[in-house]
Amino acid sequence: MKKKNFRFYLRLYGKILAQDLKSKMSYRADFIISTIGMIATNIAGFVSFWILFRNFPTVNGWGYYEMLFLYGFSLVALTPVQCFFDNNWSLRMYVRDGSFIKYCFRPVNLFFYFQSEVFDIKGLGQLAFGIGTLVYSWTKLAIAVTPLAILKTILFLITASLVMVALQNAAAATCFWITNSFYVLDLVLRFKDYAKYPITIFTPVFRFVFTFVIPIAFIAYYPSLIILRPDDVGVLTWISPLVGGLLFYASYRFWMYGAMKYSGTGF
Amino acid sequence: MEPVLQMKHITKEFKVLNRREGVKGTLKDLFSRDYKILRAVDDISMDISRGEIVGYLGPNGAGKSTTIKMMTGVLEPTSGEILVGGNVPYKHRTKNAQEIGVVFGQRSQLWWSLPLIESFKILKDIYQIETKDYNDMLELYASLVNMDEIIKKPVRQMSLGQRTLSDILAAFLHNPKMVFLDEPTIGLDVSMKARIRTLIHALNKEKQTTVILTTHDMGDVDALCRRIVIIDHGKMLYDNDIEHLKQFFGAYRTLKLRPFGDRSDAEEKIKATVTDASVSSDDDWISVLVDESKTGVMKVLGQIQEIVKIKDMQLEEISTEEVIKKIYEGGPITQ
Repeated sequence: MKKKNFRFYLRLYGKILAQDLKSKMSYRADFIISTIGMIATNIAGFVSFWILFRNFPTVNGWGYYEMLFLYGFSLVALTPVQCFFDNNWSLRMYVRDGSFIKYCFRPVNLFFYFQSEVFDIKGLGQLAFGIGTLVYSWTKLAIAVTPLAILKTILFLITASLVMVALQNAAAATCFWITNSFYVLDLVLRFKDYAKYPITIFTPVFRFVFTFVIPIAFIAYYPSLIILRPDDVGVLTWISPLVGGLLFYASYRFWMYGAMKYSGTGF
Repeated sequence: MEPVLQMKHITKEFKVLNRREGVKGTLKDLFSRDYKILRAVDDISMDISRGEIVGYLGPNGAGKSTTIKMMTGVLEPTSGEILVGGNVPYKHRTKNAQEIGVVFGQRSQLWWSLPLIESFKILKDIYQIETKDYNDMLELYASLVNMDEIIKKPVRQMSLGQRTLSDILAAFLHNPKMVFLDEPTIGLDVSMKARIRTLIHALNKEKQTTVILTTHDMGDVDALCRRIVIIDHGKMLYDNDIEHLKQFFGAYRTLKLRPFGDRSDAEEKIKATVTDASVSSDDDWISVLVDESKTGVMKVLGQIQEIVKIKDMQLEEISTEEVIKKIYEGGPITQ
């Protein structure tokens, strides 16, 4: 048996993904309707954002285009969790009715195998929207386009994605201990909406909560400071790649701990 | 023969909360530390050799799935030793997974929306099957079942029978040392059952794969298993050849009678006359269970004929099903 390294998993994921896309395309009506739905969701989000800013031109010193930047940043950062980790939403169902056990008999990483089963194509539209918003606000803010700025943006986008994936993993994995983890997942999803606002608009209590308890401030606010307010970058921004990596690893260990303890239903 | 599976004094205990009744009880349970130990598997030992098909039987809740889960590495035994193909399953779960195949009767493990052949290709990668071995296996499959019917079909469009068939093929694809089949024929029609049994038999013979079959269908057992293991309440009740089991109970025959006139009256008379056999009746027949090691069926029939006029009669051999039923119900096992 050959060693299963990163390349092995990458290739395997590619194959599963290619097959999955092929079969999804064959259900054309389903594909078209969900694409329309995705576009409508994004437009609705954008419209409510726009209405808000027609009434309040600045929020706590943050201008319209800066807010738009944050919004686009969070949309892009939320794409990986939507595309690659969407099966987390079904986890509690598999666990409750005992069918999660079918994932336990393959000689590959359990977390990988479970997540590889679902690729949510709707995330790609969100990605396009996010990139569009990001580029638009970037030009309007007249931020210089240097290789370093782009590199920083990419690094901090990855950071932000890892934080979001970590939050969702941890929330989903609670179902190994509690029967209905939907509320936990839903809670995380709701908090995610606050990620697109600058954390300074919240009271100190929520600022603390969003930084240290449910660290959604790491999804858009702390990372995007590096582009938007280069003179105002605090230590929390600089350590955010580390925080992202650590949170992701911790959530993976937590998920796996629950999964390895799992033994199905019945005797 | 080399043993593929070895279990020595395996015990598995679960800690369960002693639940109380009513709303008040439920509230108390929230803070309760009142646990009891439930022994799901109690001191089970067995060796299974290469190429055997073992029927693993027991009533619902007997501890069958718990045992299977320990063999597949999902559960860690509370005490005892277990080895599957030289591996300790719960310690080396991934390594163990490479050596085993698992099929659950009603839950497909294949990719739901993919055609079977694509699932096979992904499995080829997951199990790192050599291309030659993979092609040989597909050739073997083609000689055993009509592959054209299923190979290009997405699993979600398959009938239950086709799905089970596909799952079995997928479980044997990486040529594992051991395959666990849990209720493989549940919910299938008679002809599909027969096809599944023929397939399992052929794959076992061709590849010398050890098969552990849990089922409630005695047809599966009769068709496939030479050896059966029966457990109940976590304890081993029986582990031997199926012939031995039949021989053991084979001395029993059932004499079924339909008398002229009132049946219950006749039953009473028979009960009074025939003392060394047990008599019972249902809507159609009076059944007399005769232990032939004690008395002959013909002798009993002769005795009955003298007191009751017989309209119709049948003589039945005891079936595997009845034997198993007797064991589940705590019948005599004195070997």
